[in-house]
Amino acid sequence: MIKKPFLLLLPVIVLSLLFVIGILNGLIQSFGIMPSLGLTVPTLKYYSEIFSRPDLLSAIGMSLYITLLSSIGAVVLGVFICALLVMSGKAKGRTLQLIKIPIAIPHTVVALFVILIFAQSGLLARVFYHLDIIASQDAFPALLYARNGLGIILAYIWKEVPFVVFFVVSIMANINTSLGEAAQNLGASRWRTFIDITLPLCMPSIKNAFLIIFAFSLGAYELPFLLGSTVPRALPVQAYIEYTHPDLLHRPYAMALNGILFIISFIIAFLYYRLLQHNVVKVNKS
Amino acid sequence: MNNRKYVLSKVIIYSFVISILLPLAIVALWSFVGRWSWPHLLPETISLRGMEELFGGYSSALKTLGSSVLLSITVAVFAVIIGTMTARALVFYDFPGKSIIQFGTILPIIIPSIVFAMGTHVLFIKMGLADSVPGVIIVHLICALPYSIKIMTDITAAFGQRLEEQAAVLGAAPSQIMTAVTLPALTPGLVSSACMAYIISYSQYFLTLLIGGGNVKTFSLIMVPYLQNGDRTIASAYSMIYVISTLLVFVIFELAVKRFSNDESGYFFA
Repeated sequence: MIKKPFLLLLPVIVLSLLFVIGILNGLIQSFGIMPSLGLTVPTLKYYSEIFSRPDLLSAIGMSLYITLLSSIGAVVLGVFICALLVMSGKAKGRTLQLIKIPIAIPHTVVALFVILIFAQSGLLARVFYHLDIIASQDAFPALLYARNGLGIILAYIWKEVPFVVFFVVSIMANINTSLGEAAQNLGASRWRTFIDITLPLCMPSIKNAFLIIFAFSLGAYELPFLLGSTVPRALPVQAYIEYTHPDLLHRPYAMALNGILFIISFIIAFLYYRLLQHNVVKVNKS
Repeated sequence: MNNRKYVLSKVIIYSFVISILLPLAIVALWSFVGRWSWPHLLPETISLRGMEELFGGYSSALKTLGSSVLLSITVAVFAVIIGTMTARALVFYDFPGKSIIQFGTILPIIIPSIVFAMGTHVLFIKMGLADSVPGVIIVHLICALPYSIKIMTDITAAFGQRLEEQAAVLGAAPSQIMTAVTLPALTPGLVSSACMAYIISYSQYFLTLLIGGGNVKTFSLIMVPYLQNGDRTIASAYSMIYVISTLLVFVIFELAVKRFSNDESGYFFA
């Protein structure tokens, strides 16, 4: 009976092959192999040039900065909201449905939210003006199209906190009712129980959520494209500019930028895989 | 337990919910704005300009909305079918290379789509799939599948195979087993994975832009220029229709499913 599973897997295998070929295609071009342009000798030139060009190097830095700050922010806030939901017995029901709304809102619409609220002419600046905190439009700090990337970070946090909640809350609720209440019966306080028992046991799913949102925002194009500064650009935006450059000889730069993205995300994938196996071992032992 | 702690956590939870709902309300308001200049806290004039742009007929907004919804529903249907097949193979069979396939199915979540998109684009140009609807459907599907597979694997593992075997022993034909036993049991998973795949496809901007090459127009593609030009009223009107249409499709998904199964519980993102 070896045939049947492979028959069932056929479509997913075909699509996975396409996915892998797409990645390989890009990697091959990143080593400067584009036979149609007469480039046939593999070279590391494009990678080494990226590391010597400040504008491309700062694109990598910008992406890591935005991604790290927004992912940590989203996980911390998400876990905090989970804790409040679990401890006040709201881990199910209407409140949770409302919290999940941002999962269904596209990034382009989230960009609009940020513009309407946090731009220098946005609602928040107007409220500050009426409260006499700022005297003019310019006194409101630039959060959009700025080097600090705060507009993008806020947008990611809004979009990703619900994702963290979605990922963590039911597991946390289960652990809290089974093991957490046992600890409380033995005399531990609510927060003490939460920090010593529930939180450590939730860590695998929290790490899981972190890795996924980190990998996503590292490679996403929409928000840095719509809300980001022109210098430095985020990595995916820079890669697309190089890709669509009229001079096809720019294409290997795009692919090399993608190659760097790929290496970072492959490390994340590896960590994710280790995490999965670690969980399996744990489950098997218990 | 003291009450003050409860009040505090309720206040925090509700302010969080408000911070989720408030931007939606602001967009709804902005889509009817005529003039709302700095530093006014409320709109100065109301106008139907945004609605005219959407429904007036000189833009192709509604047509694009329709074809965009259709495209994403197609992706969702394929994702559900392939997700179910993959889940059954992974749950019920042992075969060489299983762990590699398992790992491969989650990769598109972690490897950014931009990394595979450009290489795939080059490939699709050669295959004649670039700038075409099938090409866009395929790349959307690659991004959406991991979620469908994950959801379907969980529910397939939970349901198991016993009831199907029992039906087979009692003499049911394979088609009867599928419609009477398997599908009703998997319904919650089918709906959530369809919803998830729909969201991913419907909100895809970059992949549609690159692989569709401007030939395949989806709703998220046509609203971005308004965002860039700073026309807040029209961008808001588009966004509002965008969000409402997503929710509407989910409601229809759910109603359709309720007709087929007698389950009363709602599945929205179940």
